[in-house]
Amino acid sequence: MADTNPASLSHADLVERVKTLERQETATFRELRDVKAALDEHSIVAITDPSGKITYVNDKFCAISKYAREELIGQDHRIINSGNHPKEFFRDLWTTIGQGRVWHGEINNRAKDGSYYWVDTTICPFVNENGKPRQYVAIRTDITQRKADESSLHDLAAELAEKNKELEAIVYTVSHDLRSPLVNVQGFGKQLNRACDIIRSAAAEAAAAGGGVPVEKLKPPLEVAIPQALRFINAGVTKMDSLLAGLLRYSRLGRVALTIRPLNLNGMLGEILAAMKFQLDEAKAEVHVEPLPACLGDNVQTSQVFANLIDNALKYRHPARPLRVVIRGRVQDGQAIYEVRDNGVGIAPEHQAKVFEIFHRLNPETTSGEGLGLTIAQRVLERQKGKISVESTAGEGSTFLVSLPANDGRS
Amino acid sequence: MQLKSPTILIVDDDEGHAILIRENLEAAGLSNRIDHFRDGQAVLDFFFKTPHDAKETFLVLLDIRMPKVDGIEVLRRLKADPRLRKLSIIMLTTTDDAREVERCHDLGCSVYIQKPVDYEKFAEAIRRIGLFVPLMLVPPVSPH
Repeated sequence: MADTNPASLSHADLVERVKTLERQETATFRELRDVKAALDEHSIVAITDPSGKITYVNDKFCAISKYAREELIGQDHRIINSGNHPKEFFRDLWTTIGQGRVWHGEINNRAKDGSYYWVDTTICPFVNENGKPRQYVAIRTDITQRKADESSLHDLAAELAEKNKELEAIVYTVSHDLRSPLVNVQGFGKQLNRACDIIRSAAAEAAAAGGGVPVEKLKPPLEVAIPQALRFINAGVTKMDSLLAGLLRYSRLGRVALTIRPLNLNGMLGEILAAMKFQLDEAKAEVHVEPLPACLGDNVQTSQVFANLIDNALKYRHPARPLRVVIRGRVQDGQAIYEVRDNGVGIAPEHQAKVFEIFHRLNPETTSGEGLGLTIAQRVLERQKGKISVESTAGEGSTFLVSLPANDGRS
Repeated sequence: MQLKSPTILIVDDDEGHAILIRENLEAAGLSNRIDHFRDGQAVLDFFFKTPHDAKETFLVLLDIRMPKVDGIEVLRRLKADPRLRKLSIIMLTTTDDAREVERCHDLGCSVYIQKPVDYEKFAEAIRRIGLFVPLMLVPPVSPH
């Protein structure tokens, strides 16, 4: 067209040219409208003037921000600012688009109802003939779900790493504890060998001397060495057996199907105390249970946790005073927290972390048990989104804190 | 100052292990006095709460996994005390976990032996420790 001189065009030509242009314009307009319709279907679109005032929003913008169009037009984007980005974040954004460059990033916004959403955002600045921004077109995609998935994936990875570390610690402890009785089996096995050697040589000497039982020479191996060796070998084998049984019990916990339902803790504790009445009476122990909030958990497993705590209170009661146990509860941040407080021997601060360790026992000489109760309690509670911890003063008593998700209604 | 032959302190919660260690020490030709402690707290009380003869020296055979205070913690506390820092300590344990061996050496144990311990291992350890005997002096503890 550049080589044609308009002055030389006839009227008919001109009319034809105008019609062509009109057709082209209509086609361009239709194309633009189609693209915009498709864009509106897919993206959250907003246009702002150079000062940042919103001049246009599409339906998706209104839907995600939960604001009506009239509430948005004329406002700036601070209306949806979540406060979750540092000032530099937006400074960088404005510097970029102010210089006529495209900005791309992920923004956390706040909707009218206070909920937060994430948008993957591209802001295109359009400049006027002086190179100054004329308007900004922001196109966004809702990535709230992706962000939530990323975050839960991150949490899950951290949780797995934590579990893995726990598992490693358990394998370490267990392998150590299993080798310990094995050392006795091996060591005292050698002692049996030596005893056999002594008996054999005593028998040979006696035979050479013409018979007769060499009583004096047989006494030490038969009366001291062999019985001692057998005692330690048998104890070692029994110990290994009980460690393996405990380990199996622990591993089985992860496979038990849980039935989570509202639990009436006062009823549960009533049953536990009735079952333990004999031991409690024998120890002249008193257990006081205050009204407890209800929680959500598995009846059998939770009952075992509390039975174990009361059993521990009995085992570690103070020899100089009768056992007093007070059980009370409260609800805090959606968790029902139960306190089992005793006036027993208590646990020194440096030993407190160890009480939940597998097979760890603070007083193996004076108390029975396999060192599994609290380890199992911890695992059982974790599976029910609960927790257990201890507060204690040596010589005064211990308080075990058990938390489980609270149930809305009270028991 | 004439130093006494060191008293050997076996710190092990397992009675069988303690008997086997004692028998092996005797079989390795040692006639030193041997005392047995059943957990880490007991040996810490011995060093920190009871007065000692200035001429008395000690060799500590320390198990790692024990109730209350474990062997690593005992080692750490003994080595953190300026008066006890030079004490000879042999760690006796059932694991050969590299990280644990390293940790014990970092904390300053003299020798690390894996159980079960036989005469040969002990004889070797005692020979090595023999070099350190002059360092096993424990200054008297002033009663608190």
